[in-house]
Amino acid sequence: MNRRELFTSLLRSSAQRQSIDGPPLVTATGVEPYTSPLTLDEVYHLLRRLGYGATVQQAAGYVGKTADVVVEELLGSSTETEPAKPGTWVDAVTENPAGADLQTRGSIWSAWRSNMAAFSNWWLKAMAADTKAVERIASFWSGHFISEFAFDSETMIPPQSLYRQYLMFRKDRLADFKQLVLDVSIDNSMVFYLGGNLNKVGKPNENYARELMELFTTGIGWYTEGDVKEAARVLTGWKSAFFNDEPANNGYYSSYFVPTDHDAGQKTVLGTSIAARTADNNTEYQVKMEEVFKLVEIIHEARPEAVSRFIATKLYKFFVYASPVDTNTQFVDDLAKVFRDNNFAIRPMLKALFSSSHFFDPALRGAQIKTPIECVAGLMRQLGVTVNDGASWTSKMDQTIYDAPNVAGWPGYHYWISTNTYPVRRQFARTVIMAMTDAQVTTFIKQFPDYTDVHKFTKNVCAYLLPLPLASERYKNYENTLLSGAPDYDWPSILNDQATAAARVRNFLVAISKAPDFQLC
Amino acid sequence: MKRRNFLKTTAAAAVGTQVLGGIPLRAFSPVQLLNTLNADGDQILIVIQLFGGNDGLNTIIPADDSAYYDIRPEIAVPKDKTVPVLGKVYMHPALDPKNTYNFRRMMEDGRLAVIQGVGYENPNLSHFRSTDIWLSGLNPKPWEDTKLIYGWLGNFFANTQPGFPDVLPPDPLAVQIGGSLSMLFQSPKGDVGIALTDPDKFFELGQGLSPDMDPMSDDTFYGKEFNFVRLVAEKSDYYSASVKNAFDKGKNMATYDQTNGFVRQMQLVARLISGGLKSKVYMVYMGGFDTHVQQQNVDLTGLHPFLLESLSKGVGTFMQDMLLQGHAERIVGYTASEFGRRPYENGSRGTDHGASSVQFVFGNRVRSGVFGNNPDLKNLDGNGDLRYQYDFRRVYADVMETWFGGSAADTEAIFGERILPLGVLTNPVSVQDAYRGNEPVNITVRAYPNPTASMATLEWQQTVPASVSVELYSTEGRYVERVFTGSVDVGTVRMPIKATTSGVYECVVTVNGTRNVVPVAFLR
Repeated sequence: MNRRELFTSLLRSSAQRQSIDGPPLVTATGVEPYTSPLTLDEVYHLLRRLGYGATVQQAAGYVGKTADVVVEELLGSSTETEPAKPGTWVDAVTENPAGADLQTRGSIWSAWRSNMAAFSNWWLKAMAADTKAVERIASFWSGHFISEFAFDSETMIPPQSLYRQYLMFRKDRLADFKQLVLDVSIDNSMVFYLGGNLNKVGKPNENYARELMELFTTGIGWYTEGDVKEAARVLTGWKSAFFNDEPANNGYYSSYFVPTDHDAGQKTVLGTSIAARTADNNTEYQVKMEEVFKLVEIIHEARPEAVSRFIATKLYKFFVYASPVDTNTQFVDDLAKVFRDNNFAIRPMLKALFSSSHFFDPALRGAQIKTPIECVAGLMRQLGVTVNDGASWTSKMDQTIYDAPNVAGWPGYHYWISTNTYPVRRQFARTVIMAMTDAQVTTFIKQFPDYTDVHKFTKNVCAYLLPLPLASERYKNYENTLLSGAPDYDWPSILNDQATAAARVRNFLVAISKAPDFQLC
Repeated sequence: MKRRNFLKTTAAAAVGTQVLGGIPLRAFSPVQLLNTLNADGDQILIVIQLFGGNDGLNTIIPADDSAYYDIRPEIAVPKDKTVPVLGKVYMHPALDPKNTYNFRRMMEDGRLAVIQGVGYENPNLSHFRSTDIWLSGLNPKPWEDTKLIYGWLGNFFANTQPGFPDVLPPDPLAVQIGGSLSMLFQSPKGDVGIALTDPDKFFELGQGLSPDMDPMSDDTFYGKEFNFVRLVAEKSDYYSASVKNAFDKGKNMATYDQTNGFVRQMQLVARLISGGLKSKVYMVYMGGFDTHVQQQNVDLTGLHPFLLESLSKGVGTFMQDMLLQGHAERIVGYTASEFGRRPYENGSRGTDHGASSVQFVFGNRVRSGVFGNNPDLKNLDGNGDLRYQYDFRRVYADVMETWFGGSAADTEAIFGERILPLGVLTNPVSVQDAYRGNEPVNITVRAYPNPTASMATLEWQQTVPASVSVELYSTEGRYVERVFTGSVDVGTVRMPIKATTSGVYECVVTVNGTRNVVPVAFLR
């Protein structure tokens, strides 16, 4: 028996297992590919992390294939079909509520709020419906490059603009990271959110310049305060276009450039100079490419190790294990190297991550705490139901879509589960399960092979909804909920009575949702 | 399961040990709960976190300094619009809202201290890193890539609370109003508090959530996280009852502004205290201080004034409520913000990230007044930011040593270095008796010559034999060296001291645990 088998066998016996001294055994630490054909449990694991959970049918299609093939398919291409728009409001243009009379202002704001909710609910449904990893990866970038819908009581970004930012994350999700950073830097919502709008020659506003390095690319500590000031000068001159009384040189909800607000002088960032420009050369395209993109390139050229490690660490925490003290630095270093070796293209890095031996190491399974978005989109997907007010649930669980607590995003990990939010998670699962119609429950039951065998049905549903195998006693308890005192051979006849079977299965699902590991994936 | 039943069952099951969070637990037997209850003092700390970086220069106005008006042409507060208090400070008028007990009145009544120039070495201008520094009480060197993931209060209670984490105290040690539980309350042994928004809803949703399964072994990542979730489930159940109980028994006797979210949160804290919740720390959070843009209108209204008004009104109403209900002696609080703003205003009628700033400490047992000098606007650091006068941990050291009865060893263990308590708090009577164990010895220390070119002598009359230590600290409050430690007999004591570099040093003579501080200037 090798170490992997030993560890796997220990895991399987779950609660009764012996205590092992020292930290968990992670046997596979590098990015070497995992070449074994995937088992059902491995497919479930992959789709919990690179998606919002598998459906039974989807998983069946992937069992026996290698990670390489499945991941390639899940990543998709840059031309995946966009879901239908969340509403006609995405193209509506209004006056600026700040200057409007009270009544107009109130009605614009209230439309924004309800459209933002509609967009968020729509996105959660799109996540639940996604058969690939498109929404999942777009959501990762949206959580990395934060913009907030309502960032103080009287300042909101129109949801029309945020919807376009979301489309950008979708489009760029696998692209060249430098392209993504450029697009973010002059994104209409971002230009407004981090003070780019106000960043003018002679009156610099450092807000975006600082976060560009601290939170979006290098991480803290790789630049001086002088670099922040100089980068702010590079980024002067961009404006957001929101309202019908503003110029919209590139159309509404696309940023545009005002040459007279741009600081045309020479700047030096991270030791590299950007030359001064003449008035003739002070055009939108030239400044975008020769200054903004140049700044992005300077950051990547001067600090390649920092950028690659920062992004690789972030991916690791989001997709592998969020515990800040348990990041596997060897793996992160290897992943960062893949990122650098591919000149910061995102796709090869994601490919390497999700098809690595490390990713499939049993020691790393089931330890990730579900985000509120994963709770809501995942339950919809896995139960085959639609939740229309999903965004209000994620909010109550402390994750308001497009409204992170601040520009650093959600702190995640243990911060997701508190005495404030855990009870809401329980209430959510219970509410959704109890609202399933008899027909929905029947469909749910019949998707599992051998569903007429109560032992197999119990185990299959647990494997579907919980991340790791359970102690035998827990299976027994769940079976008792299904059988309610009847002998196991009565299960097929219970199934014949649709209403009774549905009621029992609802209780069974609620019982599963009460378990601590229901919050893990 | 109702809490009463829960106690009964666990008491009955308390043969041998249970495992809670992977660590053996001797059940929550009612007897033990009682002990925990009685061993503790009833002093309370209120932490008010001002996220975003509060602009200290537009909070306490340096109205006599013309440099202030030079560097803030658009957003300075004119001297005749400030609120002068006791001839000591000029407050922003927003700190003196009408028809409510507020910061001005608290200062006049001796319940508010203003601490100038609070910060730390190598100021970090990132909100997140600097907030982590403030919450952890650690300021690693910038080139040390140290992760800051535990809070100084979490560490303090984890180290000093009897039985932690084996025994859940009957009431949560710390309560945070709203949001996810702050890093302030995290420790390597788990967190020491709960997050709470609405006690009724918490009770409605929290009761009965204790999982009906045992903890797992902690030796896998999966087991560790399983146990974490399981413990939160158990706490949700357990504390939803004690919080609800206190909430229902508690009352408010002051009138709170219902239109203001921060004020309402302070109201909830008052009601929980009134209802007898035994939590030691309450944390309330106020965001919005990141005032890069349009922080103040010409008429001195706007974003920043609104925040100051909320702060003053919320704390003022809360203190009034506690005074009316007889709890004021038990309460101190402080404000914390990750940094101040840049002295020079930016071009958007706002201010960018800065360094040191002003801190407030409030309560009946506070040495009211102003600590430190007005910021020196002519002597900025290389980035154009204010230099700091006091290490940010000096109030923390006071909280631990003076308020919660910890020792200098406790604070040193948490900060990794000795920090001199600021002396802004006075002992709650019960704690002094319970923890110090020996009579305070009152001495008066004289230093001469002062200033001195090379050497000074500390002199005092020792009235009883006692253990004495003499230490030097920097004026910011960080430890420099120990000059003497040992027993000292009755009589006149003369202690020579010298310093290797020029500067002012705080000479700390500690007699039977009571500190006496004399500043001495060495001009070498």
